[in-house]
Amino acid sequence: MSKNNFSRRKFLASAAAVGAVGAMGAGTLSSCSTGGGSAAAGGGGIYDWAKREYPFPPMLDAVPDGKVLKAGIIGCGGRGSGAAVNFLEAGGASVAVTALGDVFQDRVDSLQAKLKKNNDTEIADENCFVGFDAFEKVIASGVDIVILATPPKFRPEHFEAAVKARKHCFMEKPIAVDPVGIRQVLAAAKMADAAGLKVVTGTQRRHEASYINLFKECNDNNAIGKITGANVYWNGGKLWHRDSNPDWSEMEWMIRDWVNWTWLSGDHIVEQHVHNLDVANWYIGKAPVKALGFGSRQRRVTGDQFDNFSIDYVYDDGMHIHSTCRQINSCDGGVYEIFHGTKAIATTAGHKPQIVDAAGNQIYQAPKSDVSPYVQEHIDLITCIRQNIPFNEAAATAESVMIAIMGRVSAYTGKEVTYEEMMNSDMKLGPETFIMGDLGYMAKAEVPVPGTLDRKPKK
Amino acid sequence: MLKRFGNYLRKKLLLVILIGFVIGITATVFSHKAIEATSTPESCEMCHVHPHVTESWKLSVHYDTRVGIHIGCVECHLPPKGQGFLKEKIKASSKDLYGYIFKDSADFNWEAKSTLEHAQHFVFKESCINCHQNLFPLTLTKDGQDAHLYYSQNEEELRCINCHLNVGHYDPNAMHAKNVDFGGSGDESKEKYTEAATVNSHDNYIETIPGTTIAFNMKAIPGGSFKLGSPEGEQMRKADEGPQKTVNVSSFFMAEIEVSWDEYLAFYSATAAEGRSTDTEGTRTEADVDAISGPTPPYGQPDQNWGLGTRPAITMSYRSVETYVKWLSQVTGKTYRLPTEAEWEYAARGGTETPFFFEGNPKDFGEQGFFGKLFGKGSDSVNSYVVYDKNSGLRTAEPEGIEANPFGLKNMLGNVAEYTADWYAEDAYATLQDGTTDPKGPASGEEHVIRGGSFKSEIGEVRSAARAHTESKAWMKTDPQMPKSIWWLSDCNFVSFRVVCEFDEKTGKN
Repeated sequence: MSKNNFSRRKFLASAAAVGAVGAMGAGTLSSCSTGGGSAAAGGGGIYDWAKREYPFPPMLDAVPDGKVLKAGIIGCGGRGSGAAVNFLEAGGASVAVTALGDVFQDRVDSLQAKLKKNNDTEIADENCFVGFDAFEKVIASGVDIVILATPPKFRPEHFEAAVKARKHCFMEKPIAVDPVGIRQVLAAAKMADAAGLKVVTGTQRRHEASYINLFKECNDNNAIGKITGANVYWNGGKLWHRDSNPDWSEMEWMIRDWVNWTWLSGDHIVEQHVHNLDVANWYIGKAPVKALGFGSRQRRVTGDQFDNFSIDYVYDDGMHIHSTCRQINSCDGGVYEIFHGTKAIATTAGHKPQIVDAAGNQIYQAPKSDVSPYVQEHIDLITCIRQNIPFNEAAATAESVMIAIMGRVSAYTGKEVTYEEMMNSDMKLGPETFIMGDLGYMAKAEVPVPGTLDRKPKK
Repeated sequence: MLKRFGNYLRKKLLLVILIGFVIGITATVFSHKAIEATSTPESCEMCHVHPHVTESWKLSVHYDTRVGIHIGCVECHLPPKGQGFLKEKIKASSKDLYGYIFKDSADFNWEAKSTLEHAQHFVFKESCINCHQNLFPLTLTKDGQDAHLYYSQNEEELRCINCHLNVGHYDPNAMHAKNVDFGGSGDESKEKYTEAATVNSHDNYIETIPGTTIAFNMKAIPGGSFKLGSPEGEQMRKADEGPQKTVNVSSFFMAEIEVSWDEYLAFYSATAAEGRSTDTEGTRTEADVDAISGPTPPYGQPDQNWGLGTRPAITMSYRSVETYVKWLSQVTGKTYRLPTEAEWEYAARGGTETPFFFEGNPKDFGEQGFFGKLFGKGSDSVNSYVVYDKNSGLRTAEPEGIEANPFGLKNMLGNVAEYTADWYAEDAYATLQDGTTDPKGPASGEEHVIRGGSFKSEIGEVRSAARAHTESKAWMKTDPQMPKSIWWLSDCNFVSFRVVCEFDEKTGKN
């Protein structure tokens, strides 16, 4: 606690202030006659497109008291199971997981058993749902919060449905795989703001004390000067793949093997590396306007994805940042970000956020918290719900995912791609309808070959 | 004396304050009441004499609201109180009062005034937003989500009425959706042509489009040389019209009129694409096909509800037009294309070197006010040849009533502007050599040249030498679709095109 820069008292003061502003916002919304100014787009979100202001999450060590909050898990694989456990750890006795949904029976069964064994949480069979429509049933089961953790292709549809049913959301990044999905998330995020819903998006670095402290040192205390460039990396090993199984249909195989299919995961630059791109957007305070990159597929076994990307991102003022990501075993690598400032360098290498000078001497080391960021993000969500603090990360994460998509499209095509183009793109990946059967999708799927794809409308 | 009065006042300070207070309150209440009383729809109607204004308002969604409240005139046509309400109220009421006393409301072009261009001056975005604070209600449709998302990212440049123009005054013809039925009701009773025209010599001919009921006149334009651009002394000349260069133009054929809706819809129905196939990774699975795929359905009413028929087709993108000429060439077996800028001006001039192909200078026709109407000597000639802002009623005209130029071409100078094949550069003529044959303009550029003024143009813009260019971004600003249409322009209703046919071996050249 002593290392943590966030004291409870300090937080309560700021929370009260934020709450008051939020209440005023709500007041103007309810009345037609009062001057609302520019509240047109629905105020209250954490991320203001126009002002690009980024308030910090509350960052309490433990959740404040309040009525029991019930959560439903949509997507019971690795991340859904992890998020369920993180949520229970964050909320303790004041929260409950009461419904589960997945497209596969065995996934639901395994999480149901795991929660019973490890967390003493019993979920009745009638609150366990299986199928492509399981998300609707979980949302309708009387929960307060939904935890969206399916492969990201499905996220926009699930998020919109949850918001329209007035549920708070924890949705795991990346929140979409294509521009059509991004816009669906952005619109639903605006609805969530208007309806006062709270949304946390699994970009847990934004809930990690050391990252926040480093950001404040750079941003508030100007410790590195103006940022003139950055490098962001997720160069790691292979994740996993699933070989075919005679019992599985084509759709079942693809979904079980989803981190290898672009239409399901967005490719690894979107699915995994978005964490680092999100930190770049956060620290730099804006998104790049265009990207030119390359990538290839060297050792991936299944699916249609690349396994390495290298992207040069360019900002409106001409600044460049370099992003690289790789999923290949037995190579050197690292997962971190470096920001080069006019005065010093901020780096998170070795998971040790710090500021160093050009010679590598430490100038500042960012204090850490004892709370895991994966638990902290749930503490923040629950806190914001209970204290009614406007908090919605969807738009910020959508922007980060969009620049990852922009990098992917550039690498796939070999062409320069602009953010504006992406915002106006009708790209929508994957089949139109989802059935657990054989679609003939895999036979048609090809690994993209840069330079052979027509990116612009044909003349 | 004064001192005693002063003392008296001091003693009765409370009374003085009280009286002042009462007077102040009374004044406030009464002025407030006066403002309220003069802000009712009934009080607006007293001076604002406007046919159908009340009826169309009562049919609109702002009168017949779901929650049962009526939204009155001032709630949209004045800004909210505290945001310039009084200032605009005084402006609007003085204008209405002036118009009521000194003008005849029957003379106003009410239709033009209700277009977006005019409406933005008397419908206040602040007032829309004052009530419509939540642009993302949970009930918003998918299309609404995309459109409001686009608005929220371009708030500075967009107004609510860009999309919601008719919410205050009902227009039965207004459309705010993808217009899938557009141009669908062709004349089925007419006989269709089975063959295109056969052309064996450089003479006028009538082209017949096979498989359609459409025929149109093509004029043979004899080649020659002429001075491209305008001399420095020409009235209302702009710098990009010079320096004048003498260039040669080979013989060609040119359509008598701008491509009509009838002609364009023949193309549209033959090639219209239901889906879109425009994007990035989507094209991965798509093989190249030879068949020409044409426009997707437009959004709203491309003809602005002015009518179809022989009126020039408008709001098509440059890409649409390129596809049109490709299609026309394919179905007729000839070489149709857009004119180059030089061909266009050569044809427009018809051998003349004056500002117009008829007698007169721009300033002869410029002043068309009260005295201009009475004494303007040449206004008859301009009115018989050119549809421009002074005689158009701010809409396109049918070509039947217009006199042709010396080459037999109608509406070269007015009605609608016309796309050409050339890229635009302000200094295009400076780099051109005297004596060049069939110049094709700069090798590359951002925007294309458009020539000939339109129903919106002032007199100076309908001169033979006047130049202008496309504005790709601005003309697509308010398309609410994601992605924006590549076939239809959302913010440009004054540009069409005219086809030329090459005089080559397919048309009788030896």
